[in-house]
Amino acid sequence: MSSAPAPLSTPDATPASPETAVAERSTVSDSLVAEPPSADSRYLRLQGLSKRFGTTSVFEGIEADIARGEFVTLLGPSGCGKSTLLRAIAGLTAVDAGHVEVDGETITHLPPQKRGIGMVFQHYALFPNMTVFDNVAFGLRMHKVPSAERQQRVDETLSLVELETHAHKHPHQLSGGQRQRVALARSLVLEPRILLMDEPLSALDARIRQHLREQLRNIQQQLGLTTLFVTHDQEEALMMSDRIFLMGKGNILQKGDGEALYTRPESQEVAGFMGAYNCLDAQQASSLLGYEADAAQVVFRPEALYLKSTTDEINDPTMTSNLGPGCGGVIVQRRLLGNVIRYRVECQGFALHVDALNRGARYLLPEGANVMVHADLEEARIL
Amino acid sequence: MSLITEPRSTAMPARDGPTTSPARRLRLHVWIAIPVFTALALPLLATLLYAVSTRWGATLLPDGLTLEWLARLWSTPRFIAAFGRSLFVVAGALMLSLVLILPVAFLAHTRYPRLDRWMNVLILAPFAVPPVVSSVGLLQLYAGGPLPLVGTPWILMLTYVSIALPFMYRSLINSLRSFEANELMEAAQLLGASPLTAFFNVILPNMRLGIRIAIFLSFSFLIGEFVFANMLVGTRFETLQIYLFNVRRESGHFTSALVITLFVFILILTWLGNGRGEITAPEAGDT
Repeated sequence: MSSAPAPLSTPDATPASPETAVAERSTVSDSLVAEPPSADSRYLRLQGLSKRFGTTSVFEGIEADIARGEFVTLLGPSGCGKSTLLRAIAGLTAVDAGHVEVDGETITHLPPQKRGIGMVFQHYALFPNMTVFDNVAFGLRMHKVPSAERQQRVDETLSLVELETHAHKHPHQLSGGQRQRVALARSLVLEPRILLMDEPLSALDARIRQHLREQLRNIQQQLGLTTLFVTHDQEEALMMSDRIFLMGKGNILQKGDGEALYTRPESQEVAGFMGAYNCLDAQQASSLLGYEADAAQVVFRPEALYLKSTTDEINDPTMTSNLGPGCGGVIVQRRLLGNVIRYRVECQGFALHVDALNRGARYLLPEGANVMVHADLEEARIL
Repeated sequence: MSLITEPRSTAMPARDGPTTSPARRLRLHVWIAIPVFTALALPLLATLLYAVSTRWGATLLPDGLTLEWLARLWSTPRFIAAFGRSLFVVAGALMLSLVLILPVAFLAHTRYPRLDRWMNVLILAPFAVPPVVSSVGLLQLYAGGPLPLVGTPWILMLTYVSIALPFMYRSLINSLRSFEANELMEAAQLLGASPLTAFFNVILPNMRLGIRIAIFLSFSFLIGEFVFANMLVGTRFETLQIYLFNVRRESGHFTSALVITLFVFILILTWLGNGRGEITAPEAGDT
């Protein structure tokens, strides 16, 4: 995410390179209802799925279509019901209402072992009493696959996840990343119709997570596997997915590819989750940034705001010409995020977040400096 | 002495050897271990010595050594029979309680967490009442009526089930907690296993250590049980402990031989039970 601002903030940004037709369509118009129905674009259908525990609703009226071979991420804060939704699709949690359809077949009332769905858990859930080979072979054994074929398929899958040399080991002899790859192989070997992943990378350290993300995505594309991936990590969602379903409080708030979600949030919740959006009401937008709108809320991404030192030239050389009139303020906080610097600027008692690319020490503005804040008016988003 | 220290003294250095712990810590550990083991082993050593001595009267050491007492004990049919009865009752009780408790513990852990709270209260019930009191109650209940069990081995077996319950339940629950039983069940089912197949293929193998501990803990406790055996069946079904009580006046050497035999038997059994390598052990400390 931190490397994204530069290309994204160009006003005439068009959908960069959507990986599938579905993703492209959804960026053009976010309503999926208008799509022509085709079996492939509705490979996995969720219709009116609802679940409550006692009196509290976990999710309500979930509607979604996922295309064959698509990688969709359920993104949302913890406790928003995304994991429970995934478990409901797997058949591990019964739903109160609604249907799950895979390839035209309703599977809502099937037990998990008959759904043809694979699932990878956050804590791997490998069988500690079995070797890596036996873990992967378990599903094939349950499906009564003959031993010669079993051997071959396990070997193939283990080499797909680059673990062929670890076949004889037990799970406790492996690292976290290796264990998760075994768990992945264990699901893949059965050639599931849908692969579900419940925060599979959350228990891993950053470097391994990064590597496994790419490996996971490569394997998914190579096999054309329809995948539903749950995470609370925005960066992970943006990097891996064809489409992201942003969930909040038991609902899907917005569906779309990463760019649509990030640059064109449709509600304040989405804007709030997808980065440090500045949320202003119409009056503030007009008086601070010179943006006139007849709307309740105007939001600006922090990288759509630019700082200008009052004594100096404009601080950001990438600054475009289409800027609103500036507003004077004081830098009250400066945070280094790496390649991005996040300033908090107080303008007339209102705190604005401004992100600037970290181009070098000479461009840094100190805390306490008087600055002008300008907004790229094209990037304003009305809610 | 040699009996109790031998398995330790061979096992400990072998385990500590490769880790090369500092010499000072090793010495401290030895200085603590030796008095404790001596204190524990001294009565046993004395009993052992008494069991193999010809006569041990006014002298500091026995007059001579002999295996006569042990030989006589092992050739006494009444002893063999009592031993057999004890084994029968205890093994039956253990089997029954395992068959009963294993599914309960599994369900309480995975499906019905509320059951766990109830079980924790329930398993303590047999201990809330002193054995003398509860055996009187059992006598009243089962002396006559529709279920006249008193005097039969069955009442002892059933009572032992209730005594073994807490040992069984706690160690099984702890064993289930040492791995993610719920997730493993789910994973197995998603891979095509029915709940029953999943239980036998995935859950049970990972509970092996817990089951073994449950059995040996209960076994060594039950084989030495006297109060219930004496009150409920007495001489009508002479178990090992009742036999020991009945022959206590015959000869000190003879009863010593009996005690040592029982001790060695339990020792060997426990050693066999814990000695084997275990797969789940390293997994427990792993997240």
